[in-house]
Amino acid sequence: MRSLLFRDMENLSAYLDRQISQSERTRLEIRLQSDLVLAAALEEIRQTRALLQRTPQRRAPRNFTLKPRMAGIRPPVPRLVPVFSWASAVAMVLFIFTLGTSLVGQFPFGATAPMLAVAPNGIGGGPPIAATMAPANAAPATLVPAPPGTDKTGIGTSTPEAYVASVPEATLPSARSVIQPPFAQKARNKPLSLWLVIWPGLGVLLGALAVFIRWLNLRAFQRKNPLG
Amino acid sequence: MDEPALIQDAQHGNLEAFNSLVLAYQDALYNTALRILSDEDLAADAVQEAFLSAFRALNSYRGGSFRAWLLRTVTNACYDELRRKKRRPTTPLEPETADGDEVESPRWLSDPNGSPEESLDQAELEHAIQHCLENLPTDFRAVVVLADIQGLDYTEVAIAVKKPLGTVKSRLARARLRLRECLQGFRELLPAAFRLEEKSSI
Repeated sequence: MRSLLFRDMENLSAYLDRQISQSERTRLEIRLQSDLVLAAALEEIRQTRALLQRTPQRRAPRNFTLKPRMAGIRPPVPRLVPVFSWASAVAMVLFIFTLGTSLVGQFPFGATAPMLAVAPNGIGGGPPIAATMAPANAAPATLVPAPPGTDKTGIGTSTPEAYVASVPEATLPSARSVIQPPFAQKARNKPLSLWLVIWPGLGVLLGALAVFIRWLNLRAFQRKNPLG
Repeated sequence: MDEPALIQDAQHGNLEAFNSLVLAYQDALYNTALRILSDEDLAADAVQEAFLSAFRALNSYRGGSFRAWLLRTVTNACYDELRRKKRRPTTPLEPETADGDEVESPRWLSDPNGSPEESLDQAELEHAIQHCLENLPTDFRAVVVLADIQGLDYTEVAIAVKKPLGTVKSRLARARLRLRECLQGFRELLPAAFRLEEKSSI
């Protein structure tokens, strides 16, 4: 039996699929009427094609629908969320700054001798340190006029208490002003300590608001896309 | 189903619209993948991957046959799977009887539709076709699956395999000839209705 050229087979295959031009089609049909080998080949290709078309179609074993997470879809972030998040962060930074400032103000870094007068009694209940040191430093020279019966330096008084008691009332305010700074500082710190409460409170509140809005938004998104 | 409207919505990120398209085409994509890969699990993976890629690349779809466009993504996914399989070949674990014979897949024998004889005929036919398809080069296999099993025309096949029409025409003719030869080997096994002529004139 005569074998056919691949070119003929290609044309027969395309002829079956109606994928050749009208002129080629007419030419091939004329040949098919006279060429039995060509006609038999066409029938075989037709059978093969019919067999393939009868291949059983399977159903998909499952649904291949995409979930938002698979598709990389995330719920849009509401505009208020970044605003609240940043405001919360700023509040916390301000809190840390305020706390730092307040701590620096409370410690006696670089305190001078008068500050020592704060101690009402010496260590172990002894005489006040300032009082014991006073004669050696500046007090007698500047603050206190010598009471009668003592020498001008005040060294002659029997005890420091006696020395303080002997100081005229008029001279005390200036001495007390040296003792008072801690109380004055406390008064000055009052607004600062208020901010120490306000800033963290504000920070936590804004942060919680940001989280809450995000959660509400996520719930709404999940309700809209139940597969996600 | 208003396909153009669904495609347009999906292009704007509407996942629900895209999933409607998935449900409409998943059987076609799965069958294509199954015939190219000859493995149900790999086929399912390829289809999932194809739909994911399609969703991501949906804006590159510029009209024409959406079916062909989707089948192109699944064909690409199948080629990827075949390359991966080639790099890491695996031995399938088929259940065996006590004598060491392979147990045929229950799915192979069971079909909820039709009589047991019909089911068996269909199973024999499917087995024969699948065996012959596996012996084809991948490029030929993809073309014949798309044209003869999925019923795409030459233009759609050309889109799906990204080859010129002439190449599609030539590959399809060669694939049919090879399948013809192979299926003749199954002549005795095929049901009477599917038997090919014993002696080829080609």
